[in-house]
Amino acid sequence: MSEQAAFQPRIAAFLCNWCSYGAADLAGVSRLQYPPNIHVIRIPCTGRMSPKFILQAFRKGVDGVWVSG
Amino acid sequence: MEGDFTVKVVSHPRYVDMAKCIACGACSEKCPKKVPSEYNERLDKRKAIYVRYAQAVPLKYGIDKDNCIFFAKGKCKACEKHCPTGAVNYEDQEVRRDIKVGSIIASAGFKPFDPSIYLQYSYSKFANVVTALEFERILAASGPWMGHMVRPSDEKEPKKIAWLQCVGSREVNACDHPYCSAVCCMYAIKEAALAKEHAHDGLDAAIFYMDMRTFGKDFEKYYEKAKGKGVRFVRSRIHTITEVADKSLQIEYVTENGVAMTEEFDMVVLSHGLEIAKETVELAQRLGIDLMPSNFVKSGSFTPVASSRPGVYVCGALAGPKDIPLSVVEASAAACAAAGKLSGARGTLVSEPEIPKALDVKGDAPRVGVFVCSCGINIAGVVDVKAVVEYAKTLPNVAYVENNLFTCSQDTQDKMAQVIKDQGLNRIVVAACTPRTHEPLFQETLQSAGLNKYLFDMANIRNQDSWVHTGEPEQATEKAKDLVRMAVAKASLLQPLNEVQLSVMPAAMVIGGGISGMNAALELARQGFTTHLVERDAELGGNARLLRITAKGEEVAPYLKELTERVKSESNIVLHLSTAIKNVDGFVGNFKTTLAGPGGEEVVEHGAAVIAIGAAERRPTEYLYGEDSRVKTHLELDSGLMSGAIDPKKTNSVVFVQCVGSREPERPYCSKVCCTHSVESALHFKEHNPDCQVTVLYRDMRTFGERELLYKEARSKGVLFVRYGVDHKPRVAKAGDGLTVTVRDHILDRDLLIDADLVVLASAIVSHKDESLAQMFKVPLDEDGWFLEAHQKLRPVDFATDGVFMAGLAHYPKPIEEAVAQAQAAVSRAVTVLSRKEMWLPGTVAFIDQKKCVGCGVCWTVCPYQAIAADDKGLAVVNEALCKGCGTCVASCRSGAPNLRGFTTQDVMAQIEAML
Amino acid sequence: MFARRRFAVLKNLMEYAGIEPGRLQFSWISSAEAQKFQQTVVSVTEAVKALGPAKHMIKDIRKVA
Repeated sequence: MSEQAAFQPRIAAFLCNWCSYGAADLAGVSRLQYPPNIHVIRIPCTGRMSPKFILQAFRKGVDGVWVSG
Repeated sequence: MEGDFTVKVVSHPRYVDMAKCIACGACSEKCPKKVPSEYNERLDKRKAIYVRYAQAVPLKYGIDKDNCIFFAKGKCKACEKHCPTGAVNYEDQEVRRDIKVGSIIASAGFKPFDPSIYLQYSYSKFANVVTALEFERILAASGPWMGHMVRPSDEKEPKKIAWLQCVGSREVNACDHPYCSAVCCMYAIKEAALAKEHAHDGLDAAIFYMDMRTFGKDFEKYYEKAKGKGVRFVRSRIHTITEVADKSLQIEYVTENGVAMTEEFDMVVLSHGLEIAKETVELAQRLGIDLMPSNFVKSGSFTPVASSRPGVYVCGALAGPKDIPLSVVEASAAACAAAGKLSGARGTLVSEPEIPKALDVKGDAPRVGVFVCSCGINIAGVVDVKAVVEYAKTLPNVAYVENNLFTCSQDTQDKMAQVIKDQGLNRIVVAACTPRTHEPLFQETLQSAGLNKYLFDMANIRNQDSWVHTGEPEQATEKAKDLVRMAVAKASLLQPLNEVQLSVMPAAMVIGGGISGMNAALELARQGFTTHLVERDAELGGNARLLRITAKGEEVAPYLKELTERVKSESNIVLHLSTAIKNVDGFVGNFKTTLAGPGGEEVVEHGAAVIAIGAAERRPTEYLYGEDSRVKTHLELDSGLMSGAIDPKKTNSVVFVQCVGSREPERPYCSKVCCTHSVESALHFKEHNPDCQVTVLYRDMRTFGERELLYKEARSKGVLFVRYGVDHKPRVAKAGDGLTVTVRDHILDRDLLIDADLVVLASAIVSHKDESLAQMFKVPLDEDGWFLEAHQKLRPVDFATDGVFMAGLAHYPKPIEEAVAQAQAAVSRAVTVLSRKEMWLPGTVAFIDQKKCVGCGVCWTVCPYQAIAADDKGLAVVNEALCKGCGTCVASCRSGAPNLRGFTTQDVMAQIEAML
Repeated sequence: MFARRRFAVLKNLMEYAGIEPGRLQFSWISSAEAQKFQQTVVSVTEAVKALGPAKHMIKDIRKVA
């Protein structure tokens, strides 16, 4: 259990510039706190999201991938 | 005269040649004379040669002659000796010029009230009694203590702070300020909340107030949030402050249930109000414009930015106490009004800025420059920016790194352009806030330095790092490094892009035919643009048809009649009544909107749109509304008074109940206009029937600004104001032929019974929550259904989506003058689009590598914008004017033929690689 | 639309490749929904944390891509 708690996953977050990326900015403005594990890559639209990106991220060793439009 | 003024302007000597000054600060450093700094509210010192504040524009030094040793004694000249550019000129003279203009806008602002005249607050005597503005500077990173919250007497962190509201507002004994300053409640809550964040081991923050006036958009939520964070709100006006041995301060007050209390605080902040400076009054006299008795400039509710003199306009706090968003709205509104009659001269004095030809960087090895912003303490308060700078220096391709206090400030921008040239940088990364707000600014700097603006990327280390990981500085710093590494990896691959030019359709669409919509349409028409005014009802006017008078006492009906007639006779306006919006295609400059009206469907082309769909009065479900016809809403009362169905002379007792459906968990906002409306209606009853018993049951009276005078008048005329708590709501019951209203008096802690002939409910204003319209124009609504502006303070009529603007109640409940101002502001903003002949579309569009294309057709099937078609060889080509750069084609092609400029597969892969 | 369908298929593929479904998350959040964003970050982080470090996929899958 303690090992689980100490594990800090690295998560690739692909966020749509117009939707979730904006929400992320707004979360900042509102000072809403959240865990620092996500690393954001801004994409113009979820339509841009190639499966390749997800596979590449896992292949490189991320623990999770989050795609949000 | 209007349209042709000659303004005599005096430029005072600054004794520094602006062309030569490079703002290096050497003069100020060597200047031996120290002077209390006005910018930091005299809490620290500046020199006799100085800049007022670090972000001043233009960033040029100047000599304060009255404090300069050379001007007093004839020797010193330290600044001249140490200036590396020879910019100091003691012989500088004042310059008088005549400027010819068509319109004048007065925006001289306010002066914070000086509380020294109050003996009871001992502001000038007790060190730890400060004004709110001084406290603001104490909290500021660029303030006297670098943002460390300390009290002046011993520079120790206070554990207990009291804010006293209404200092120099709602007060006629020590000062002649019967008005409410409108902004102090909010800034006091903000300061209390920020102070709690600044405190290292807890802070007891208490706000002593009379009525909590959080009437603006999202203000009530902010107030509730502050309560949740433990800010104490005490309803009591403090009459005396005494100092105790350690310079702490003792306050005596009486609680709501009459208990006398004594409490000690480490510091007392006086929430001082707004007033007009003597010099500003003199300026107004020179301009020949009328002032109110309060010295604010006089304007009408229907012409909120027009002064009494034609051609002279007014905006901001000069025209009445107000906050930033409304000041910004009025600024745009004044620009609209001032430009209206001058639209024929538009562009005649314009010269095109020269953008240097972009350097060809193709084939050059990437030389990345990284600028890490501290954003005051917004970033540096959490993230170790120095560590990020050192780390960035170790990254591949990085040639130059620096840290800035505010990377976005004008002087840093100028420096950045110079650094780009000096260091031969060809890719730039700014680690700061969000590209959604600041990318265009930095891109401009790249252009001015001769770099293609697409050779740029940002690392979002504020909105998505320091602000959201406040409690984890180490992890936030590591994340900032990661984000910089990812941005550098992407930047290294970026290529210069070209932009697409598009024409702009010089026509506008206004949706909603109420006061806001009609004003917007008329102003657009006056500025020479064909305007389609779309109204779903069969007639114009909206809610105003049911309104009697404004807060300034102007009758609404005659104005509405005149306004409607002007709209109908304006040749530039195309009126679409009983018409709905079916569909919206296109984008800024080129919208194609399908209207469904009585004559069938019609497609209208326009370059910009103003959403002014208004709001509605909520139908109450409480207080016997709908069961007893003597229980009415505000609009029903006004209609009744106008038609004569309600006669004040025949009314013996009327009870107004405030906050019916507002400031409740279900609708956690203040409807803003109801307190004033009740007071002006109460006065109407008293005026026509002095014997009528008029009672107002309220939670906080929110007669902000000069509306306070109405409240004062109502009390003096015998209107009874009884406050109730949200957990003790009044009750309305039938009693024989009449109605009885029961309310708990909080001082007596007993029920009061009031007989009433008429009960008027201040029912909430509710949004239309028009999600389909929002979706069609791709603009957001907030959780209460109000249209959500691009920035609550600085872009109050814009959407994040270009070419779409808002006005009136669709944005939030507001009185008529604010709705009209917002309509004018929306026009001002829309004209920035419509007055352009062409626009440039972003270069971030898709392109097809035809060597890889097999002509399978997947991309042109999936493209949501129909931007891809087959060429004569059957291979895909992109129409760059239609492409919105979504990248769906790239993701769906099996051969990898399409790619998206600025977001290529290689760019994203590099970021993924750099993430780990 | 296309993105949604693509993701549905991809999730199955991932499971086939040995990636637990919980490691790949999709959501739709509008730019006004800051609260929802925060809540989603928390739930995504917790879901991945519960699964522990990723082990299965760190091998060459270039052929699949």
